[in-house]
Amino acid sequence: MAALTVTFIETDGTERAIDNVDAGPSLMEVARNSGIAGIMGDCGGACSCATCHVYIDESWLERVGAPDDIEYMMLDMVADVQRDNSRLSCQIRMREELDGLRLTVAPLPGY
Amino acid sequence: MASVEAEGLVKGGCPVDHGAQDHGAVLAGATLKDPAILAHPNAYYAAMRAEAPVHYDEKLGMYLVSRYEDLQKVFADPITFSVEQGFKHIYGGAYFEEFKAIMERDGGGFFPDAIMSDPPYHTRVRKLMESAFTAHRVKELEPRIAKVITDFIEGIADKGRADAVEDFAVPITIHVICEQLGLDHFDAAKVSRWSQAVTAQISAMQDHAAMVENAAHICDLQNYLIARMKEREDNPREDMISDVVHARSPDGDGAALTFAEAVSLVRAILIAGNDTTATALTNLIFILATQPAIAQQLKENVDDERYLNRFVEELLRVEPPVRGLSRMTTRDVELGGTLIPAHSMMLNLYASGNDDPNVFPCPRDFDVNRPNVGRQVAFGGGVHRCIGLALARMEIKITARELVKRLDNLTLDIAIEDITYLPSVATRTMQRLPITFTRRTV
Repeated sequence: MAALTVTFIETDGTERAIDNVDAGPSLMEVARNSGIAGIMGDCGGACSCATCHVYIDESWLERVGAPDDIEYMMLDMVADVQRDNSRLSCQIRMREELDGLRLTVAPLPGY
Repeated sequence: MASVEAEGLVKGGCPVDHGAQDHGAVLAGATLKDPAILAHPNAYYAAMRAEAPVHYDEKLGMYLVSRYEDLQKVFADPITFSVEQGFKHIYGGAYFEEFKAIMERDGGGFFPDAIMSDPPYHTRVRKLMESAFTAHRVKELEPRIAKVITDFIEGIADKGRADAVEDFAVPITIHVICEQLGLDHFDAAKVSRWSQAVTAQISAMQDHAAMVENAAHICDLQNYLIARMKEREDNPREDMISDVVHARSPDGDGAALTFAEAVSLVRAILIAGNDTTATALTNLIFILATQPAIAQQLKENVDDERYLNRFVEELLRVEPPVRGLSRMTTRDVELGGTLIPAHSMMLNLYASGNDDPNVFPCPRDFDVNRPNVGRQVAFGGGVHRCIGLALARMEIKITARELVKRLDNLTLDIAIEDITYLPSVATRTMQRLPITFTRRTV
């Protein structure tokens, strides 16, 4: 299994580089297993809660790809913090092509 | 017909300002067990949020958590705020031991709810269930669910009047979940009685006679489900009961669930899968019948998927079927400025969180354009967030869409002040909602 790296930038600016990530699991699972602040993943990866919302670094957008309609509808529910590079991290599986990926955790809005 | 103001729902601008009331007077001596407060709780919620955000309701014997911010703290810490202990404590009310004995004698056994548990056990059980309920999986079910719902609407469209609860919301949601579970030839009236009997166990309002009656219904339910599960042990089918009975642990060695756990999960899917969703459909009809401007807006946007999704979320925010669910503290903990001792019962008021003006300005306004509408907590939050949320949203969305396409002039056939609610601190459920309507011709 390839040992890949992904870097999460938490909402307070802390950079957390996660090494030895396997291909396969979703980025939400990677984040939860590493205790990344702000990635809750309430619904367990069902694309149903928007608590694993991230912003993909612009240079990675093309490789990561755009959300499908179902994911886009969920992102629209948190339009106050939605951006053009928004994704739900439960819908992105780690793969070799994404080795070195950088993403920023979206703030949990509301209060 | 009573005006919508009676419900605190005012069109345009900001609605009734509960803040102008004397919160101290609203809170003094009041209890959530009061049927009048249970029926119209928003002033009580507002008073708590302003004066005592974590308020001990003496008559109920529970700490009521009313602010959105504090609810998020509870959701984020499932160990300090234990669902397992909270659920066990409220379950069956004062007659739990007798209830349990009846289950063991007549109901095939007492099966504690495996999903109403704490991590790490909960994590394992939940993981086994999640794949069945993803938004993408539910999207595949849309055509079939739409067929069920449109058949029901067509069935009443020319009748001119109906009870939105008994003739519509309850049979629709029962039909959808029974079909998914693989229950052929089910008796919808029976399933409805079973659902009420199960949900009464967390109502905190059940007297002894009601417990005995409900226990008999639950025995009947369990015996029915156990027979269907046994059939599938040797002959699995393409249905949810088979999925649960034959669930395998991720490492592939053997059954992932004990039979007792499986019974509790099938029972939970059946009950949770219809009761609260039926309430949401009733609430949908209530809103359409009392807020014509909202009904008109829905009609004009009925083919806009984004609008429909936002409409459903806002409906759940304004009228959440689950008022609140219980937890128990496992240690002394400070929340919202109140020190809660270990082993205290709490009721987490999702309905009050959804009504919190700090998060949702003008909270009684039905506004599909709220930028943060997805932050509403009708489904709870954290690791216990409702697992069936995508299916519930889908049922509500299709019903909203097909209803306004086929029916016009939806009106209440009951005065708002005459609407009665199930006696429960856990849900806010109209018992009946007579309506009149015409078939839409244009």
